Amino acid sequence: MDVGQVEAMLRQEGQRRAAGNTQAFLARHAPFNKMAPAALQLFAEKAHIAFYPAGSLIVGPDSGNVRFFYLIESGKVQARQAGEVTVTEYSILSLGAGESFPIGAVTAGRPSTNIYTAVEDTFCYHLPAEDYLTLMSTSPEFNLFCTQYIASLLDQSRRQLQAQFAQKASEQQTLNSPLSGIGARNPTSVLPETPLRAALESMSQLGIGSMVVADAEKKPVGIFTRSDLLDRVVLADLPLSAPISQAMSASPFTLNEHATAYDAMLAMATHGIRHVLVTDHAGCLSGVVSERDLFALQRVGLRQIRQAIESAPDVEALKASAADVRQLSFNMLAQGIGAEQLTQFISALNDALTRRVIQLNLENHDFSGIDWCWLAFGSEGRDEQTFSTDQDNGIVYTVPEGEDKEALKQRFLAFALDTNKDLDKVGFPLCKGNIMASNPQWCLTLDEWRAQFSKWIRTPEPVALLNATIFFDFRPLYGKSELSDSMRRHLLAQASATPIFLQAMARNALEVGPPLGKIRDFVTDLEPDYPGKIDLKKYGSRIFVDVARIYALAAGVHGTNTIQRLKLSAQKMNIKGEEINAVLDGLNFIQLLRLQHQYLEGEPGRQGDNLIDPEKLNELDRRILKESFRQARKIQSRLKLDYQVNH
Amino acid sequence: MFGIKKFLFGDGLNENLPPDVKSAVSAWLAQEAAGLESSHFLTRYVVIDIASDGMNPDSDRLTGIAATVVHQGIVSPEQSIYVDLTTADEAGQARQLAAFLNFIGKSPLVSYHVAFVSAFLENLLKKRLGIAFAARWVDLAWLLPAMFGEKSHKPMPLDDWLVAFGLDVGEGRRSPSENNMILARLLQMLVVRAHAKGVDSVEALIEESKASSHLRRTR
Repeated sequence: MDVGQVEAMLRQEGQRRAAGNTQAFLARHAPFNKMAPAALQLFAEKAHIAFYPAGSLIVGPDSGNVRFFYLIESGKVQARQAGEVTVTEYSILSLGAGESFPIGAVTAGRPSTNIYTAVEDTFCYHLPAEDYLTLMSTSPEFNLFCTQYIASLLDQSRRQLQAQFAQKASEQQTLNSPLSGIGARNPTSVLPETPLRAALESMSQLGIGSMVVADAEKKPVGIFTRSDLLDRVVLADLPLSAPISQAMSASPFTLNEHATAYDAMLAMATHGIRHVLVTDHAGCLSGVVSERDLFALQRVGLRQIRQAIESAPDVEALKASAADVRQLSFNMLAQGIGAEQLTQFISALNDALTRRVIQLNLENHDFSGIDWCWLAFGSEGRDEQTFSTDQDNGIVYTVPEGEDKEALKQRFLAFALDTNKDLDKVGFPLCKGNIMASNPQWCLTLDEWRAQFSKWIRTPEPVALLNATIFFDFRPLYGKSELSDSMRRHLLAQASATPIFLQAMARNALEVGPPLGKIRDFVTDLEPDYPGKIDLKKYGSRIFVDVARIYALAAGVHGTNTIQRLKLSAQKMNIKGEEINAVLDGLNFIQLLRLQHQYLEGEPGRQGDNLIDPEKLNELDRRILKESFRQARKIQSRLKLDYQVNH
Repeated sequence: MFGIKKFLFGDGLNENLPPDVKSAVSAWLAQEAAGLESSHFLTRYVVIDIASDGMNPDSDRLTGIAATVVHQGIVSPEQSIYVDLTTADEAGQARQLAAFLNFIGKSPLVSYHVAFVSAFLENLLKKRLGIAFAARWVDLAWLLPAMFGEKSHKPMPLDDWLVAFGLDVGEGRRSPSENNMILARLLQMLVVRAHAKGVDSVEALIEESKASSHLRRTR
């Protein structure tokens, strides 16, 4: 050995010995104390030690991409939010010995969002980013620690979203809000001399329960309601040609539009009236506030809505309940319910609505003695509805002995058509792809459904694969669920026995990847019609949904919900708990963003979209969205490996 | 002839050293003081501690030398060396010492009680390599009271300084390598304070070190 070689050897020995102090320090602090000796050795040999006198900046947004994982050995460090917008719940956080930062930024290789300053003389270990990543990939304990930390960021972000919702909710809901923002604006009114018949016709046409009577200057002079119709017209034998002024309640109760909802509520309680007319500064009619409008301002309870749905006499009443469902889901979002529970909750109430619509239609269509079941497909079938979901449904039935199949099918189709139309009225738009029970293709006997499934599985052509992604997520909604169970058993048996089908599904599922950029954070030009936006469904949640479906089919999981599917198939396929939890966190975050977007940005009454502009997200959300997309990529690469898909 | 030899090998580089050791040591002798030293941040400091089997540099033996670099405010275990003198024979020791010289270069050296550390080093380097080792030394034992008078204006045992700074003293005896990491931390703090006091180059620091030693010894 020459001098050079000896020096290399002595350096190695020096490095090993110098690492001793650091190891002793690490052994006293979580999570390091649980890590294997080799991992600690790596940390101790690679970490530099730096001194930061009190008051000096350690790292901040302007320091560029974070190059180190910082671990405080002694002293105190203050973390402060950069910029004016608070993205986490804390604005200032104090860190002490054994605490580390900025985990999110060093993991993502981005600049820190916080400004870290030494408030006391501080010694910090600097673990270079590449060694940090090596440690992440070699030490399960360290990996868990960092993953959990990022998960807590997710949690913080969720809480912050809730704060936004709560604010909007309270803006909307308070009884202190002025009447100018409540109830119907610029309501229809008629002149006092209008004949009763004409007034009643327009009430019927507009579907309203009351009519304001105003003079030529729009000053309200009376109100005519349905109860007046009974007492003052029918029972009083008043001819329909008589002017409405003879039947109306004169000098109606009015409030200025600056009065509050509370004033209106008080007036209703005091005077025993159901409507308050709202007037502008000139005393002209500008709105009507009904008891129902005020009721909607209050927190609408789950049970009330359910009762209202289950006892709804007609589709009209269900329409109001559907609006309540939306309001209630919004309240729940504000109260901090996570995306998983919320989508399931929306699904549950939508199920109740759908069942009631079916029940109402069964009054006109009789299927006694026949086994049949109404099926939900797609997101409804997976219990994952967001605020805007169109219909995806079908019917399965069996033909009893001696019954004519074709005639029975026609009866089901007629019933389905009525039901589909009513569902549309209630707020579930008709399916553009005509995946509805009224389509003869999707109103099939049990044997036909089974044959259809088998055919798709045996010949996985593009159309078959597309159908599989919709129809294999079925769930019974009304009727004999045994039929649906039988379909499921058939499907699982066939799918798990046909690897070539699952492989084709996998290939299909891998055609769209998460929009992670190589240079920029996100790729935002995938939708030519919407530059700068990301479709969170197409490039986000659908990736998780598709992968979950394949694993569920492969593992024989009966559930259709994506989270259930992932959890259950992970168990069967030996995927680690924390690994799958990180994936689920990612999915939940994307779903929450979709819900937020649909509620906060969707116009009322219009179908919300899933297009978000990542530039408009705050820094933390952007970072978490990126991490969520990484999780999507992670399960995709697992799928790729499992099914040997090479693009 | 003799003059040239003296010029090339300093004062009597050991004649019977192996060629690779000889050339490494001559290269070290010929080296200029390390380049950029315009500030503490840019100066490559090498912290040194030793292990010996006794306290007397003239009769006791050096058993180990540890060195760690502090450069640009950073201490890194990767920039460390340890010479274990208990296992190698004389030729082996000569080669190890040549490697040690190559590692430290002409950087200013930092230690606690320089007189003790440097005496052991000088004796061994003279004996094995035949060179007169004269480095620029920074003595923390004298500099700390000069720079951190509010904690103590007299020299103190190292552990007392650690307690004063609220640093971890640890349990039991520290090995030279471990001790170096502690000294390195003290140096990191010290140069920040020195800079604040306008003592902002290595020469100024060495002056301060000498002055403090003189002042506090004679008082």
